[in-house]
Amino acid sequence: MNRTLTLFASVFAVAFSTTAAETPVDFSREILPILSNKCFVCHGPDSRKEDLLRLDSFEGATSDLGGYRAVDPGDLAKSEIIARIHDADDPMPPEDAEKQLTAAERALLKRWVLQGGGYTEHWAFVPPTRPTPPSQDHPIDAFIENQFTGDIDFAAEADKPTLARRLALVLTGLPPSPELLQSFLDDGSSNAYEQLVERLLADPRYGEHQARYWLDAVRYGDTHGLHLDNKRGIYPYRDWVVRALNRNQPLDEFIEWQLAGDLLPEPTMEQRIATGYVRMNPTTAEGGVIPAEFQAKNNFDRTETLGTVFLGMTMLCSRCHTHKYDPIEQTEYYRLLAFFNNTAEGPLDGNKYDYAPTLKVPADQAAWNDWTHLESARDRLLAKAGAKPGESLADLAKPEGRLAKLGLQAEAGQLIKQRTDATARFTTTLVARDLAKPRKTRLLDRGEYNLPTGEPLQPDVLKAMNPFPEGAPRNRLGLARWLTSREQPVVSRVLVNRIWQRVFGAGLVRTPEDFGLQGQQPTHPELLDWLAVELHDSGWDLKHMLRLMVNSRTFRQGSALRDGVNDPENKLWARGPHYRLDAEVLRDIALWASGLLDPHMGGEGVKPYQPAGLWKALAHPGSNTKNYVRDNGQRLYRRSLYVYWKRTSPHPMMTLFDAPSRESSCVQRSRTNTPLQALGLLNETQRIEMARMFAERLLKERATDAERLDLLFTLLACREPSATERDACAQLLKTMRERYAAAEKDATKLLETGEVPRDKSLDPTSHAAWTQLSATLLASDLALMMF
Amino acid sequence: MKEQNPIRESELMMTRRQLFGRAALGLGTAALADIIGPDLLANSAGQAGGTHFAPKAKRVIYLFMSGGPSHHDLWSHKPKMREMFGKDLPEHVRDGQRITGMTAGQKTLPVCPSKYKYTRHDNNDQGVWVSELLPYTAQVAKELCVVHSTFTEAINHDPAITYIQTGSQVPGRPSLGAWLSYGLGRVNENLPGYVVMHARSKFPEQSLFNRLWGTGFMPSEHQGVLLRSEGDPVLYLKNPAGVTGRDRRAQLDTLAAINQAHYKQFADPEILARIQQHELAYRMQTSVPELMDLTGESDATFELYGEEAKSAGSFAACCLNARRLAERGVRNIQIFHRGWDAHGSLPKEHESQCKDIDQASAALITDLKQRGMLDETLVVWGGEFGRTAYCQGKLTETNYGRDHHPRCFTTWMAGGGIKPGITYGRTDDYAYNIADADGNMIRPTKDKWTPGTMHIHDLNATILNQLGIDHRKLTYRYQGRDFRLTDVHGHVIKDLIA
Repeated sequence: MNRTLTLFASVFAVAFSTTAAETPVDFSREILPILSNKCFVCHGPDSRKEDLLRLDSFEGATSDLGGYRAVDPGDLAKSEIIARIHDADDPMPPEDAEKQLTAAERALLKRWVLQGGGYTEHWAFVPPTRPTPPSQDHPIDAFIENQFTGDIDFAAEADKPTLARRLALVLTGLPPSPELLQSFLDDGSSNAYEQLVERLLADPRYGEHQARYWLDAVRYGDTHGLHLDNKRGIYPYRDWVVRALNRNQPLDEFIEWQLAGDLLPEPTMEQRIATGYVRMNPTTAEGGVIPAEFQAKNNFDRTETLGTVFLGMTMLCSRCHTHKYDPIEQTEYYRLLAFFNNTAEGPLDGNKYDYAPTLKVPADQAAWNDWTHLESARDRLLAKAGAKPGESLADLAKPEGRLAKLGLQAEAGQLIKQRTDATARFTTTLVARDLAKPRKTRLLDRGEYNLPTGEPLQPDVLKAMNPFPEGAPRNRLGLARWLTSREQPVVSRVLVNRIWQRVFGAGLVRTPEDFGLQGQQPTHPELLDWLAVELHDSGWDLKHMLRLMVNSRTFRQGSALRDGVNDPENKLWARGPHYRLDAEVLRDIALWASGLLDPHMGGEGVKPYQPAGLWKALAHPGSNTKNYVRDNGQRLYRRSLYVYWKRTSPHPMMTLFDAPSRESSCVQRSRTNTPLQALGLLNETQRIEMARMFAERLLKERATDAERLDLLFTLLACREPSATERDACAQLLKTMRERYAAAEKDATKLLETGEVPRDKSLDPTSHAAWTQLSATLLASDLALMMF
Repeated sequence: MKEQNPIRESELMMTRRQLFGRAALGLGTAALADIIGPDLLANSAGQAGGTHFAPKAKRVIYLFMSGGPSHHDLWSHKPKMREMFGKDLPEHVRDGQRITGMTAGQKTLPVCPSKYKYTRHDNNDQGVWVSELLPYTAQVAKELCVVHSTFTEAINHDPAITYIQTGSQVPGRPSLGAWLSYGLGRVNENLPGYVVMHARSKFPEQSLFNRLWGTGFMPSEHQGVLLRSEGDPVLYLKNPAGVTGRDRRAQLDTLAAINQAHYKQFADPEILARIQQHELAYRMQTSVPELMDLTGESDATFELYGEEAKSAGSFAACCLNARRLAERGVRNIQIFHRGWDAHGSLPKEHESQCKDIDQASAALITDLKQRGMLDETLVVWGGEFGRTAYCQGKLTETNYGRDHHPRCFTTWMAGGGIKPGITYGRTDDYAYNIADADGNMIRPTKDKWTPGTMHIHDLNATILNQLGIDHRKLTYRYQGRDFRLTDVHGHVIKDLIA
């Protein structure tokens, strides 16, 4: 190398960077993840030694370390970092470090330094601005198409029946009814698809389906979750989520009510029910536990859940020490925790269903509707009477007094009675309430409840993000406003990513739980930002966002894997979604197809069939969830959203298909494929009951086997069977008919599975054969897959 | 519909299989890629037992005594406590130890010596004292590595059991078994790779939780499969009434045809994988009943394990099942036995508990040994904590209770490359604190290993080590953090390794 060039260090650096390192390195995308993953463990935000190099900022990286610098802007090639990562004798990371650099990473780091060693902020902490879509197409499609490489283009649009099925499953969690499907297929107008979208968005099933994702995230369960794992009354919260989503409550308000509905001026019953969010953490009352320990643990759980649900960040690390990767100091963790340290409930649940504070509320959606009618009837009557503030129905009902002359006593009396009757049927639900005198929050050394240190901390938000909103109260309400303020960089991205995930099967960020330095980069950063800004600008309109997504060409593509597109994880989005449906959807589809699905909305969790002894094998003898008492009648056939969620032992047909325990937040379920699932699909009592009722329906509604098969396929796949499928089904039917004709006792045994009586007018041989075929097809990919 | 290109198909398959680590064998490929770099991945993925180093043990059988067995009444011979009967536990012994709410209110903490007789049994070192409650276990003393200095921080059941089984006191992490499943994969495709059994107890006083064999944030395929004594041995194993194996075969053939048609249309290799899972399930319907059928076992076997082994759901039956699972290549077996939480009537309860487990635990060791399997099978025995040296409630010569005690308790291991016939670690005269060689109290922490002690993270690190896994390298990334079973702790205790 030419020695004279060293005299002109900056010239050298520029010359070098334009030759040896031609492509510019993207710091945030390429370098920060390496530094974070391999270096920050010592040289990051949690660097323990005062004088140790810090690599989490440009100032740190370029600081004088005694005559040399990790990144030396005056002489980039002499930067110590380049020397040390290549030094065989004294390498960095040290030889015994758990994580070593790869050759490719060394090369990248070197290129980055030689290009100037510049720093930019982590992408997710910079508030999104709305990028201009690269074309006039639907914005989603414009961004997606822009990243297609080579001659890749969108896949051809899926056929209409497939689109109808996909849409209905995405929006409502159930296939379209044959009538809805037919009307869509018959509708030749140009906006037929958009019309179908609107009809599905207006279906009350929509709210039930969308609520499920939220309940996973907030870890909704029907039991306390620890030790005795006793019953907990909080299902009105679940039912409120369904209502809020069905009426498309703006998501900022949706968040505000949950975090702080009780702190709003004169909070309504719903606003208070929504604060069940704050009470959702697992709790205990185990004999001998130390209350202060669980006061701390309950708060940890809330703080860390807030991190996962809204910030897409793990807060866990900073409970015990300043975060290794993300810019969160330990003090900040406890300042955030301080927002939650003030709630009125005791740290131990007393094993009580109504672990105070609670609120008395209507017990299901029908009761809720009745109650709202009674509320408006009261308001109307009081208005009619010209009642002054403070005057009530009781005043109206009095035989004398200012209002007596109106003659509304009878009406008021009747309304009072109706209201009394309704409230007598109320249930209780856990709600949040703040103490009048705040608890003091101190930093806990190493996260140990008994090691509080330092001065009491005021509640505050994370420094790496937007400041606390001016004028907002320093309580959960202010926290909610911080989360949804325009400058907040992550919340809207995190939320739209999860909306994208439920529509397309995977997120634009494949680590929906982590938008921090260690998380994956978005496949389409501009699209993510565009959507995040759109969420704000639309007034936090969830239906609008879903509409945008499902109306895109990206969504409407066929979902087959494509020749010439080597993209097994579909990161280009050059095909439609193809994935196994969630546990609840699998059960709901079968309930629906068999005609068993009970439309009743809301109420205490239901207990369908479950193998005997599962709860007893685990439970404490003192637990009130020791015995699983199965429900009867219609409650067996409610939508799976309503299945009772015992957190230490959820229903096995849920957990076998990857439903979380709801002991902790889950924003992305795994999708496994196991032999135990195969056994469940073909042997579980309810699956068989659903199959035989499905068969019964087919036998009764259609006259010939061919027509029955058509209906079966239409219900499950929105299309008629192919010749191959027809043959395979005919073969099984024939075999089963012969076999059950020879042993009718077996047929009747099969048809007695489950509680609902069979129609004895049907020929058992035929019914059993069709049951077997139905069970088989309900276990096939036609009923298991999104496609 | 397009014709499929077989080369592309196989490429897609390869990509998916390798990416998502569904290979039957080998270290979780996601973890592996991070350890050895992607270059080596292709070579290693297909190798049997893709571990970090040569494993000493091929499998582990964990006999978990839920509730906290009393080390005082089983393993800790402390004659000096007899002299202190009923006197208050000296303050310097308690040394600030936090006490659960159950005894914190007691006026005194009376020293409670064990009422049981201890005998010294020869092992391969200085011998080991075992109480009369474990006569059979004492007979296999030469195989046992008895660790007196196991410790934890948790003082209540739910946090403590969650801690020892998942490495965290708070729910949400994968269990030890899930980590092993993730790391080791499985050998016998016709049986689950990770099997959990619940043994009967007369005192099922403490709760268990799915999370103890659950997967937390890891994919649920690594969860423990319950082998049950009630109903189907594996959930939903049996065909419905009126459906025979032949019927099922016909169903599966049609199912495969339907799914094949779906595959032709969508080309997603997951579809083919699902067809395989149905076939596996079908084979499991034969292999599991065969596993559970004990008619082929000899009289000698039942003599060894005891007649109880014929009674489904007993601890003895679970131990016999464990051996049969081990023979069939299952690598990851856990038996949970509840009822060790003796706050009030310890003698009555522990006598019954020991009767449940003693003969069968010893039989398992003997049986594995005589079949030449002990060397390659790590057997672990222990609970989530120990019990106090002082009495909870009224102390009499014949009856007493003990509260939870995290500072020291006894665990044993056998086989699987662990030194046989030794004891490890000491405790003070009250078996209240871990002690050094001179009997002086020491106060180890999880942060830095102290020789002679075994934190529960150290136990888990050592278990993983015996199976060929470096606990620091078996990681799973969630929320940007590479989680480990042992958190940021754990030390492989080399002194225990043969």
